[in-house]
Order: sequence, then structure tokens, then C-alpha cells
Amino acid sequence: MTTTTKSDAQQARVILATDCGSTTTKAILIQLTDEGYRQTHRGEAPTTVEEPFADVTMGVVNAVVEVGELAGRKFIDDSGKIIQPATETEGCDVYISTSSAGGGLQMMVAGVVAEMTAASAKRAALGAGAIVMDVIASNDKRKPHEQIQRIRELRPDMMLVSGGTDGGDAKHVVSIAELIAPAKPQPRFGSGYTLPIIYAGNKDAAPRMNKIFEQGFELLIVDNLRPVLERENLGPARDAIHDLFLEHVMAHAPGYDKLMGWTDAPIMPTPGAVGNILQTIAESQNINAVGVDIGGATTDVFSVFDKTFNRTVSANLGMSYSISNVCAEATMPNILRWVHFDMDERELRNRVKNKMIRPTTIPQSLEALVFEQAVAREALRLAYIQHKEFATTLKGVQQQRSVGDTFSQETGGQTIVDNMKLNLLVASGGVLSHAPSMNQTALLLIDAFQPEGFTTLAKDSIFMMPHLGVLAQVHPKAAMEVFERDCLIYLGTCVAPKGSGKPGKPCFDYTIKGSTLNESGQIAFGEIKLLPLAEGETASVTVEPGRTFDCGNGPGKRVEKTVKGGTVGLVLDGRGRPLELPESREACKPLISKWVEAMKLYPGMG
Amino acid sequence: MNNGLDAPYPTLTRLTQLSFRLSRAIMCLAVLPAIACLAASVAMAQGPAPVTNLQSADHPWDGGDNADLTWEVSADDATLVESYFIYKAMMQKGPIPADLLTESERKYALVDVVPAGTTEYTVGSVPGSGYVRLKDLSDEQRALFDPNDLPDKPHKKITVELGYLFKIVAVGSDGSQSVETITAAPYSPTRQWFDAKRMYLLIITIIFGGSVVFFIQHARAGKDLKIRKIGGLAAVDEAVGRATEMGRSCMFIPGILDMNDIQTIAGMTVLSRVAKTAAEYDAKVEVPTCRSLVMTSARETVQAAYLSAGRPDAYNADFIYYVTDEQFGYVAYLQGNMVREKPAACFYMGAFYAESLILAETGNSIGAIQIAGTAMPAQLPFFVAACDYTLIGEEFFAASAYLSGEPEQLGSLKGQDVGKIIVGIGIIVGVTIATLAAWFVDTGFLTTWSEYIKGVILT
Repeated sequence: MTTTTKSDAQQARVILATDCGSTTTKAILIQLTDEGYRQTHRGEAPTTVEEPFADVTMGVVNAVVEVGELAGRKFIDDSGKIIQPATETEGCDVYISTSSAGGGLQMMVAGVVAEMTAASAKRAALGAGAIVMDVIASNDKRKPHEQIQRIRELRPDMMLVSGGTDGGDAKHVVSIAELIAPAKPQPRFGSGYTLPIIYAGNKDAAPRMNKIFEQGFELLIVDNLRPVLERENLGPARDAIHDLFLEHVMAHAPGYDKLMGWTDAPIMPTPGAVGNILQTIAESQNINAVGVDIGGATTDVFSVFDKTFNRTVSANLGMSYSISNVCAEATMPNILRWVHFDMDERELRNRVKNKMIRPTTIPQSLEALVFEQAVAREALRLAYIQHKEFATTLKGVQQQRSVGDTFSQETGGQTIVDNMKLNLLVASGGVLSHAPSMNQTALLLIDAFQPEGFTTLAKDSIFMMPHLGVLAQVHPKAAMEVFERDCLIYLGTCVAPKGSGKPGKPCFDYTIKGSTLNESGQIAFGEIKLLPLAEGETASVTVEPGRTFDCGNGPGKRVEKTVKGGTVGLVLDGRGRPLELPESREACKPLISKWVEAMKLYPGMG
Repeated sequence: MNNGLDAPYPTLTRLTQLSFRLSRAIMCLAVLPAIACLAASVAMAQGPAPVTNLQSADHPWDGGDNADLTWEVSADDATLVESYFIYKAMMQKGPIPADLLTESERKYALVDVVPAGTTEYTVGSVPGSGYVRLKDLSDEQRALFDPNDLPDKPHKKITVELGYLFKIVAVGSDGSQSVETITAAPYSPTRQWFDAKRMYLLIITIIFGGSVVFFIQHARAGKDLKIRKIGGLAAVDEAVGRATEMGRSCMFIPGILDMNDIQTIAGMTVLSRVAKTAAEYDAKVEVPTCRSLVMTSARETVQAAYLSAGRPDAYNADFIYYVTDEQFGYVAYLQGNMVREKPAACFYMGAFYAESLILAETGNSIGAIQIAGTAMPAQLPFFVAACDYTLIGEEFFAASAYLSGEPEQLGSLKGQDVGKIIVGIGIIVGVTIATLAAWFVDTGFLTTWSEYIKGVILT
């Protein structure tokens, strides 16, 4: 890895970024133009981490060459290296990369109590971009021999061990370490690889950890991630994960040692980089944001609420390899409720199996598209439920009460995800990014996430967020500018009051004042309305909800906000929250048809 | 001595004699009408005609302490009679010694006054049987009873049959009274199996019992019975987890009353859950008690919990110990222990008095998660303010069903909720009727129901 200081990077005019995925390596070019930093070109090539190539840089070079050809610049010299620094016609000033090739970073975590230090360890690992294979805890209801068996079965890239507050429990965390050491977990990269273990627990137990993990492990001791139960300190553990990811995991992946030598910033796990840019955006704009990346096998959900970042990976919710699991978890009736015409269930099941065995196929008919989007709604809905359950306040914290709390004693571990506070909802992943119509993406997001109040909807145009996540570390200004101008495609704004009512009865009155859109009217409960508000435009929207509906200021209270337009426009959603659909298929179909028509989802299709 | 007043007429002058005779004549003239009036009043003092055909009968569907009287009204009912006075007198019946009845009981006592035209009346408080204790009877009195009916111990009771005579007197508007009409023979009311006045109780019982059975069956059928989340119970895992992470103990204080108090028993249910969680987490639970019997029960409870958690080896009886029966001696010990050992979780589950705030404040100051549960209304505000979570009254008693999740207990809890709803509705309706009846005095419907509520439901 070359060393580029932030001050050097600030002068950069040409920035090259790659993301090495499991199947495709994507490269983008960011250049300083008269309008500031813009993403100008992109290219992609198959990833070459597996045999017969077994060198990730080959795919990188291919993708970069494609970008170079499109941009009319030469990036690769005759020796096959990236040319730095940039001149008028060739090279780049900054080169950065992320990687999720070979399954990304796979970790096991351990803690004393599953809901406390073990949960914090999981948050640290997920936040660093890892896939958490299992969580070992004193109270996970498994016998020691079962825990040892599990540790032996899995082949993690590294382990994170935590437990006990500083000066607190040492007995349990030492017991866990004494389970791990003799279990001798076998690393993914073979016997020559020394398994890294990060210890982020009670500092008093650190000397004993040194002794236990003396042989056969690479132990790194960092600050306790729960020094007291009232506070989480995930930063040191996350940094350690990143360091070990580079030093150990990446160093053992084919070609990564070479790639690390090219980059100007540490290679980050792709999800970690996505989380990084989302945090940067939320912090700089002082907003709450949720991002989702729905893939073939997994769905990642990222959120930043009140400056607290959380990420979850729903390992069995995806649109190809995991589609059967989505159907099993959500159940077919729940999926079919989103379909507005008759479908043969037998045919649907065949479609699901076909998608599993041929994951790269895309829908060829309207029926197939509608069904796939129905599955996506349920996959996203389930992933978001899992995210809400994980993104909680800390458990085990002493509460301060007053007599006023007599009848409202909330426990710890309440979700911090509040859809009413949500400002920005960003979508990425094939089914969302590549939907034939942006309107479909917008309604998919609204149906699955059910945003409340005023929420801006956007999608990641070409899955650029990972690149920008790394770029934010060396050049935050460039990252922000590209994110705003090129990364996000604003779909529009959704206005949806929380509450329930009788179908056809008034839900809210609205008045819109903008340069091109000036309208007022009433939305009935169960109705959804799409109004045109082009990208780049804003309008002032005043909503007066009915007395059982809340649009952010309390039930029945008037709200006035400035909303952003987008490729879809302004969605006035009077369907209520939580969104409830009739159980009867016959009652559901006409309702969905009405919404499909109102949102102009499939015009001219079929 | 002759003072002139006692002097014979001949000593007076003729004029004086004349005037004296004149005055006597005048007096005679004045007395005559008075005599006539007196004669008339004597004739009226005979009063209105008496009621006839006075009958006593058993009041149906009662507890055997009412008698129904019926009679035919006085012949003067429409003219002279203003009201009927109803009297009762207790009479011995069967082998009851006469001198066991007091003089006042044997005398006729006024029961009620009913207006003219009334032909029936239900006399209350006339139980058909009473009792005497064997020790209160003399040998002669004992001889009156069949020896087989006499109990073997002197303090035991002997049931005796009581009879009543009733009489009615018609009273005129001028106070004149008719001749008494008395029932022919002493009458003893009998007890029926069901008291119709309490029909509302039967209905409530059927609804209440039925709902309990319904919900139990509902739960057994696998249907979900929604029970509101009780924060204090849900936080037990959190509190024990905190103790585990901090390497400290959990302190469980089962109140200061003995095992005969329902709150202490409810506390044992929670202790079972705390101990089981502690066993699973491998945390230490300390239970200092102020009653020896509570200590024994707590040991049994904790041992069973460790066994059910699959960790009988981790149970240590020494952590459950007796301190003192003295309220403040006990509190002083607890306070000292808390300050020294700094437990990470404190549970106060049982009956507490003045010590509640002392304990809760000490626990708060050492940074422990505190969960309290009591049904002592005066202590609840202190616990709510100083503890993290508080189980309030009913929540505390519902803990057993909440924690076990057994269909029988959950169904019973739901059924009780139905009962509480009925009682709540009854209170609201009753208060509304009584209030409206007080405002709209002339409304017959409201007055009738108001009287029913006051006379039947509230008695």
C-alpha cells in the first residue's frame, strides 16, 4: 500500500476506485471538473480471485483498462501497474479499493452475555463489514462440548472475543477463551494461516488471554468494547478488524498483497465502506438515514439514527440463492398479496426453483417481474424487521425513573429505528437498482420499509457507495460531492402519516407550493397519489392530518416541510402505518391494482 | 288551724253565698261540654276496625330469615286508618328453654309502619334457627334436649328452632289504635338453597367462572393469549446479565413478613425465575431473609430453580440465610452488605414498610439495577422513584402466570381480567345511577335501581 496523506489527496484531480466483488470487479473514475468532483466513467470485468487466474489484480486491471478506454486515459503502465500521479493524459492521483471477493470477511464473535457484550461484539464485527458466522456466549444455552464443536466446524477469518466490564467479570470470559483455544478453529485459508483473535474485553483478564492464546493464534488486545455497561466503545475493535483484515485475510487471498501495494488507502470490506459513507452523509447533513443492499444471497441493512450506526446482514434473505428461504419465511400468501392479478401457485413455485438454480436470470415477462418484486418486498420487509430487532439501545443499563414513569417503564434494548425520524432511504441491489421503472423502485421501498412522515427516497445509481466509503477516508469533500451529484438518484419524497382509519374517509389535507407544482386537496385513507416533482426541484408541502393520523408533529397536528423532487416525484401515501392489507385475496387484488395504477408502475407493460 | 279556706259555708254572708252558687252554676255549664267531648273521645279511642286474616308464610328463595305477612285490610281502611303498625315477637319453639330468650326478645317490637291499603309485608331479620352453647345450659335445661342432640364438648353449639308471632295494629289519623291482630301460631322461616336477592352474584360468578374456563381452554388449544409486557419481569434477564458482566452478585430481598403473607409467596415465584436465570448465567444470588421460614422456602425455591436449569452443582445454600426478625436490624444489615459488596442487581419482592426507601436509595447509590414488587400502596411511590422497574400490586401477583406461560395460569389471569372489567362497569353504572337518582328524585326507575343497589348489592 502506498502512503497518501490527506493533504496530498486534497490536491487530487483524478481518482480511480475499484470494488472487487465475488463475481464482478467494478471500477469508477472520479475527476475534478468545473462543477467540482464528478464520477465520469465506469467499467467492469469478471473478478479473477479464483482459479485458474488466482490473482485479483488481473480483474482490477481489466476493469481499469475499460474505464481508461472510455475516458481516453491510460491507467496501466507496461509493467501492469496503475500509473500514479496523474498527468494530462494518463494515470490517477488516488487509487482506492474495496473487496468482498471470496465471501468477504467472515468472523466469529464471543461474549459473556449474549444480549450485552456478545451483542456489542457482533455490532462491532458487522459495522466493520464482516459476516458474523456465529455468536458464542455463556448463556447461549449450548453445552461446552456443543460450543467447541461449533467453533471447530466453522472456518472464520478471525475471531473477536469480548466480555466483562473493566474491573468486572473475568471468570466467564476466561472460560470462553479456554473453550476456543483447545477447539483450535481451522481458518479458511489453510493450515499456514495463523488465526487472528481480537480481545476487546475486561482489561484485567488480558494477561490471562495472552497465556491462553500464546500458541497457534495471533492475539491482538484492544480497548474493552463495553468498558462500562452504560457505554459502547466499538471504534478500537473495528479498527483492529480492519487492520487484521488487511494484514492477515487479504494477505492470504490471491493477488491481494499486490493490490494492497497499489492502493492509497487501506482496502476495506465492501459493506464496511458502504456503512462508512452512510455515516459520513448522516453526520454531515445531520439526518437519519437507512440504506439497503439486496443481493442474491443476503440483504444488508444499514442505518444511522441519532448518530448511532448499525448494520445487519440477513444471511438467508436474497433474490436468487436465498429466494426459497424468503418464500418459506414470508409464506406464499404474504408474497401473493402484493400481486394484483391471478397467478398459478404451482407455476410460481417453479419460478422460484428456477431462480435458485439459475440465479443470474432476470424476469422475461410482466408476471415474472411482478412476482419477483413481490418477493423483494417481503425479503426487504423481513430484513428490516431483523434490523430493528438488532439496532437497539444498550441492555443492562441502570435506568433513572420518576413517579411519572409508574405506568410506562420501558425496558432496555428498545429499537432505535424510528421510521418517523427517518429522513433518507437509499436503495441498492439488482432488484431495486435495475427495476425497469423508478416508480417500481420507489413503491418497493415504501411498501417494504413503510417510511412515516416525510422521507426522501433515493437509489445508488451504479452501486458506487463502497468506493465513496473508502474515498471519504482520504478525500471527504470529493466523496460528498460525488455522492450528492452522481451516486444518488433521487426518486422523490414520500409523505405518509402514521395511523389507521376507515377506507375512503379523509386521511390528510395537503397544500403544495412549488415552482412547477401548486396543488391542494385531500387524500382518503387507503389512497396513494403520485404528483410530478422533477429532480432538482423542491416544494413546500403542508399536511393537515386527521385526528387519528400523525405526520411528525403528533396526531392531528399540521406539518409543513420542504420536500425534494426526483425521477418519480412526490408520493402522497394515505394507506396508513402500519400498512395493513386485507387477508382475503379477492379483497386485496383490486386494492393493489388501484395502487399500481396510481403509481403508474407498469404502464404499457404486459 | 283555720285559715278561712276550710271554713264551712254558714260562715259566709248571704251575698257571698249567692255569688258562690252562681259561679258553681257557671262552672257546671262549662264542664258539661267538656264531658260531652270526653264521652265522644272515649267512643273514638276504640279506634278503627282491626285487620283480619293475618297470615305468616315463608319468604321464598331466601336465607331463612324473612317471613311474608299477608292480611286483609281494616274495614275502616278507606276512612279512619292512616297506617298499620307491624310488630314481631320471638317465641321458643321446640326444646328451647324459655329463659334463654330475653325479656326484650319475647316482647313485641315494632318492625315497620306501612300506609293504609297495604296488604302484605316481608319481615326481615327473623332467622328460623339460632344456637346456644352447651356450657350455657343448666342441667335442667339440658334435660329438655334429646341426649343424642347434645354435643360432646361444652363450647360447642346446639342449634335451636325459633318461632315468631306477628301482630298488626291499625292506627287512625288521630292516633287511635285498633284492636291487635296476632298470627295464630309461632312461625319459623326456613332456609332455601338459593337466595334470589343474590341472583346478580350468580350471574357474575357464571360469567367470571365461564370466562376463566373459556380462556384456559383457549390457551390449551394453542391460541395466543396476549398479556401486556411487564417491564419489571422482562428486565430480570437484563439485571442478572448486568451482574454477570460486572462480576458481582444479585441480591434478592423477600420482604419483611413471613410465609403466611401472600406477597412473600408471590415473591418466591419471582425468586424462582431470578435463580433460574442466575443458574443459566452462572451468577451468584444472595437471599438474606428476616424470617426463618422464608429462608427455608427460599432455599427450596432456589434449589429447584438450579435443578431445572440443569445446574444443581452450582446451588449453594449458604447464600440464602437468616439475618434477624427485627425490622431495622435487618435493614441495617442489608444496607451495610449493599454498600460493602455492591451487588449489581437488587430485587425487592414482598411486603415492605418503612425500609422500602432506605433499601431502594442505597441500591440506587451503588449503581445497581433494581426491580421491586409489592402490593403495599404506601411504599409503591418510593419504589417507583428509586428503582429501575416496579411491579405494582396486581402485576406482582400476575407474575406467576406471566413467567410460567402455562395455559391454566394464563387462562385464569385472563378470566380474572373479565371479572375486573365487570366490576369496573358495575361501579361506573352504580355511581351513575345513584348520582342521577339524587338529582331526579321523582324518577321511579332510577330510584328503584338506586334502592336496589343500596339495599341489595351493597348490603
